[in-house]
Amino acid sequence: MSRSQAALPGSVSATHIWKRYRPDSRRSVVQETLSAIRRRQRRRARWVLRDVELEVQPGEAVALIGLNGSGKSTLLKVLAGVTHPNAGQLDIGGRIGALIEVRSGIHPDLSGRENALFYGTVLGLSRRQVMDRFDDIVDFAELSGAIDRQVKFYSSGMQMRLGFSIAAFLEPDILLVDEALAVGDVGFQQRCLERMKDVLNQGTTLIFVSHDMAAVEAMCQRTVWLDDGVIRSDGPTADTLGRYRVGLEEKAALLARLLDDPVRMTQLSATSIDEALPETGRPLLLGLTLASEMSGPVDLCVGVSEGPATPIFTLTRSVDLRVGENDLRCTIENLPLPKGRYYVWLGAFGPGGSTQMPWHPAAPLDVEGPPRHPPPRGVMQLSPVHVTARWDARGSESTSFQRKPTDGTAAALLSPR
Amino acid sequence: MTDLERVVTPGARLRTLITAEVSHDEQPADEWAYQRSLRPSRVLGDLWRARQIVRTITERNLRVRYKQSVLGFAWALLTPVGLLIVLTFVFGRVAGVDTGGIPYPLFAYIGLLPWAFFAAAINTGGSSIVSDKALLNKSQFPREVFPLSAVAVAGVDAGMALVPLVILFLVEQQAPAVTTALAIVPLLVLIAFTTGMTLALASIIVYLRDVRVVLPLLLQIGLFATPVAYGLELFPGWARLAYCFLNPVAPVIDSFRRTVLLGQAPQWDYLGAGAVTAAVVLVGGYALFKRLEGGMADVA
Repeated sequence: MSRSQAALPGSVSATHIWKRYRPDSRRSVVQETLSAIRRRQRRRARWVLRDVELEVQPGEAVALIGLNGSGKSTLLKVLAGVTHPNAGQLDIGGRIGALIEVRSGIHPDLSGRENALFYGTVLGLSRRQVMDRFDDIVDFAELSGAIDRQVKFYSSGMQMRLGFSIAAFLEPDILLVDEALAVGDVGFQQRCLERMKDVLNQGTTLIFVSHDMAAVEAMCQRTVWLDDGVIRSDGPTADTLGRYRVGLEEKAALLARLLDDPVRMTQLSATSIDEALPETGRPLLLGLTLASEMSGPVDLCVGVSEGPATPIFTLTRSVDLRVGENDLRCTIENLPLPKGRYYVWLGAFGPGGSTQMPWHPAAPLDVEGPPRHPPPRGVMQLSPVHVTARWDARGSESTSFQRKPTDGTAAALLSPR
Repeated sequence: MTDLERVVTPGARLRTLITAEVSHDEQPADEWAYQRSLRPSRVLGDLWRARQIVRTITERNLRVRYKQSVLGFAWALLTPVGLLIVLTFVFGRVAGVDTGGIPYPLFAYIGLLPWAFFAAAINTGGSSIVSDKALLNKSQFPREVFPLSAVAVAGVDAGMALVPLVILFLVEQQAPAVTTALAIVPLLVLIAFTTGMTLALASIIVYLRDVRVVLPLLLQIGLFATPVAYGLELFPGWARLAYCFLNPVAPVIDSFRRTVLLGQAPQWDYLGAGAVTAAVVLVGGYALFKRLEGGMADVA
């Protein structure tokens, strides 16, 4: 019904949030009205958010995930108060800082210094507060040499760093972050995560929109999955991410069966030895049957991924296919995956790179084993890999250990039977 | 499945599969309809808390405007002076306007100043929301900060344009009359009217961009339909009061001339008529703005 400010600082309470945009704003208003009258129909708009509920406690870190167009950014804008919902009630406690489109508020004709003062004030600080944080902002953005230059002479990375730094040093009660990390280089991304961790440790509430599953895992204990404006899952990050990944891959796998390609996978089995369930550190036997309409050599690729598209490792082997059914077996000697749900991906590519079977998720792979250890907060783990390690810690002497790199050419046997 | 087969690219197919199941016919329950409080005390309180933002945006607009220009702030002086020269030539020399004994440049310039302020404010303020839309997504400050800082920028320019006025007084070897102090009254009327018009236009232009295109033309016409280059006496006596209701800038200019140049009090009935319109426009324009404010971030 309304927006109130009575809540505890740092808390967010959004109930029954509905939001839609006007249909097609590119058309002129006159045209639109005329055609609406002619057709005598109500203008129908897409609901971007439908009955969304979100309760966040002070100091909590919550991630919002979902496909493009699922309403994540709109929800963030509603929470930030920059756009109003059509229905619902909002209770926001304290000051909100929003990192939404960090570069777009930066004025190209002003210097970095002028922009910092301007942007900081617009985001809700007093001039004094901006000046107090000015050195931190410049240091964080690594712009000490360029701060008095006009921003239009900055590289796009510099502009992004400036925008992020100003917003990151606002010290709000609630920080909303929308894909702010995507533009920076690796070093800056890591420092952004560090900064967000510091902010969280100060008791700030964080709501974080990202497509980067690793960043989500690194920052947030709780994750909300928005799907076409509806909350599909809201719970611990590992659970929601698991459901999201499975959802994505199951759909992709479903699609793969519709494809009409020269080589198709008809059967895939993944077991440990003696038909046991796949387990961490034990051999994994992949048995697959390919139906082929062509004969000749192809490069067959097998990969395992968690979440869409980016495999943890891939194995490639050249095989000679015959027309008809082809049975293949692949043995991975020590399965380097911790407990979890993964997907096996397949692809077959003929000589010269022609696609005989597109790279697609073929079947889920559930791995049993010891639970995985989450990385420390603020540290992004690229992909889960199981590493056996022995620690010896005696007094001040201790041996450090390094994670073995995942090697795509790991020991594997792949031969046509 | 038939829906899926129509889609060609795998990526698009994935999207369809994942999002196809939901319908958009559902509606939120009526009791959840979102309402913003538009109580005047709340609106003005929010604006007061955002006063630093008005100042910052004003400062930025002033800084940005003359970056990379050689003459910089001198342009704020040169623009009205240039216009004055044209008016002096056309109306003072060619048309021979009756000024009641005042040197024509002074007479015209004191009419030009309020008009230039009004025109600049509604011209830049009218499109201020649209041209600053990047900032709309930044924070939840009240949106009137944009048109209000446009009025403030126009005010600063008008302040600068007082320098040529001082020079004109020196050249004509004349001093402002004692009644100049009374000029505060028409000044307030002018600010109220300008602010109201700017707020109304700024909110309308977000939704109807056509107005943005027509505005400069209307202002051109306004320059000649307002007693800037000539006196209010040019209008027949019976029409003057009605005209002052219609165009508050007219009695404002007339009052400036009377108080600053002629040493008289303003003609209170005319100025009062203008003040009534200005008050209505200010309150109405602000109310309209707050009404339309909710959708601005979505449409701009």
